[in-house]
Amino acid sequence: MSTDIDQPVAWAHRILASAEPFLAATARPTVSIEPPTDADVLALKEGLIRVSELLHTPSSDLNHDLLNVIGAIRGYAEMLQEDAALLHPALRQALPALLSSAGSTQTAPSNLVADSAAVAHRNEAGVILAVDDMPENRELISRLLSRAGHTVISAESGEEALELLETRGVDVVLLDLMMPGIGGAEVLRIMKEHEGLRATPVIMISGRQDMDQIITCIQAGADDYLLKPFNPVLLQARISAGIERKRWHDREEDYRHQLERNERFIRRTFGRYLSDDIVEQLLEAPEGLELGGDLREVTIMMSDICGFTSLAEHLPPTQVVSLLNRYFEAMTAIIFAHQGTIDEFLGDAILAVFGAPRRLDNDPERAVRCALAMREAMDAVNAANAAAGLPALSQRIALNTGTVIAGNIGSEQRAKYGCVGHAMNVTSRIEGQTADDEILIAEATRQLLPEGIFRLGEPRAIIAKGIEDSILTYPVLGLH
Amino acid sequence: MTDTRLILLVEDNEVNRNMLIRRLERAGHAVTTAADGDIALNVMREEHPAVVLMDMNLPVKDGWTACREAKADPAISDIPIIALTAHAMEEDKARALAAGCVDFATKPVDFPALLTVIAAALNAHG
Repeated sequence: MSTDIDQPVAWAHRILASAEPFLAATARPTVSIEPPTDADVLALKEGLIRVSELLHTPSSDLNHDLLNVIGAIRGYAEMLQEDAALLHPALRQALPALLSSAGSTQTAPSNLVADSAAVAHRNEAGVILAVDDMPENRELISRLLSRAGHTVISAESGEEALELLETRGVDVVLLDLMMPGIGGAEVLRIMKEHEGLRATPVIMISGRQDMDQIITCIQAGADDYLLKPFNPVLLQARISAGIERKRWHDREEDYRHQLERNERFIRRTFGRYLSDDIVEQLLEAPEGLELGGDLREVTIMMSDICGFTSLAEHLPPTQVVSLLNRYFEAMTAIIFAHQGTIDEFLGDAILAVFGAPRRLDNDPERAVRCALAMREAMDAVNAANAAAGLPALSQRIALNTGTVIAGNIGSEQRAKYGCVGHAMNVTSRIEGQTADDEILIAEATRQLLPEGIFRLGEPRAIIAKGIEDSILTYPVLGLH
Repeated sequence: MTDTRLILLVEDNEVNRNMLIRRLERAGHAVTTAADGDIALNVMREEHPAVVLMDMNLPVKDGWTACREAKADPAISDIPIIALTAHAMEEDKARALAAGCVDFATKPVDFPALLTVIAAALNAHG
């Protein structure tokens, strides 16, 4: 094992070689695997593809990435071993080779720790609560249903039934209508008002003479009914239908839960760089999270604090951090308010773009307005600094507009929304020649601004290293 | 009964994260996730999970730093953290314990063993 961890590449090759029987087995039309286990098959295959991709085009942290994917492959293979191997001889034969090459000790299907839910799901067997005040009825139900593989728990009163429902996971309730104390109709009403129990299917049991009450119960949300004496076949059929309904509901719940978790994850991960409405947009079109980017015109903003390096040298580190945080906090709020996307904080510099991921008609105008608001906010930042005994800061801001590639850049494991392109470099050159407290915009940005809103100063040509033509720029003085 | 208290899984590798979510939930646990140490600290403060599974090799803020910061913050210092490290080296184990982790597991994880470690952490801090 230790040699495997030292040699992830060799390990990965062995895993790929041992995966052939598994791939062949799952490709067979006779091996059809039920949800949710089918998703594990898919994920395992994706893991194998990822390993071979990593071997072909090694990432910067190849060993680390390989070990992670190998861990995932092992995990999915172990789950399949637990959930599906017993059902499919082809899988039972194919999985051990893959498991053992992935370093799993769990290579025999008898070794399983399958949870009861997975087992129950396979047989479509479920947990049935039988509620009846007559012991002979409870026994009859229990005998008929246990034989079919269901787990039967029983209650002799409505009170006991409600107590059991609170603590046990029940798939279907068989509910006698006529009972002393809390009757069937009342139990049903309480269940339908209870958020956690509302979805549990209820089958009413009664004598033929109570048909009008049965109808009332169906209207109140009961799923089905059975008349005494039971027909065993009908009982089985109704129970199966009830379990099926419950499974559908559970799967839907799982799916909804998964969606919510993904949404929370995206919010957390991207919330730092993007304003809320852009996160919303990513959530609406999750394909936007895929790697790769598109060419688009954006207005790029670069700002930094003048003379920060020498300032930082003369202050204790904790003061530098609090100075920076106060500044970044104020600026981030302003940039988000102007629907800008923060690409990066670099030391004391902020790199933001307007127009990606979402393009709006007034991207350049919003960017300039944002720069003016940032300049104005410096007074408040400096007042707070002065109150804390910290020195005043001044910033400079450069804006440029051009075509860049915007998207999630990086590896699949570590991607971050960002932009690359010549226009980014040009912006950085302009920023290098911006004076203290100045906002300098490139001609490309100026051309896109509506007439008569901004007061601009005299044009200034900038000659920058690595850029052939000089760049024409304008200082922004304020609003008209 | 399975313990349904919330587990925070901090893992930046998407493939491995998805696998662990699926396995933990399949075992009956409730899971929330974070992709870096910084977000992990935020989630600990906001959701106060019962236990944290933390990969130590994380972007933005690594697991070692996040763990030390969590232990220094009285609001969340009680939450047990289980370190996930890539190498089964004694020094990593000592380092994880020194950073305030209650236990550690090496990647690729031995899942039944991890479940035992989680159960122990939950019981000790129940």
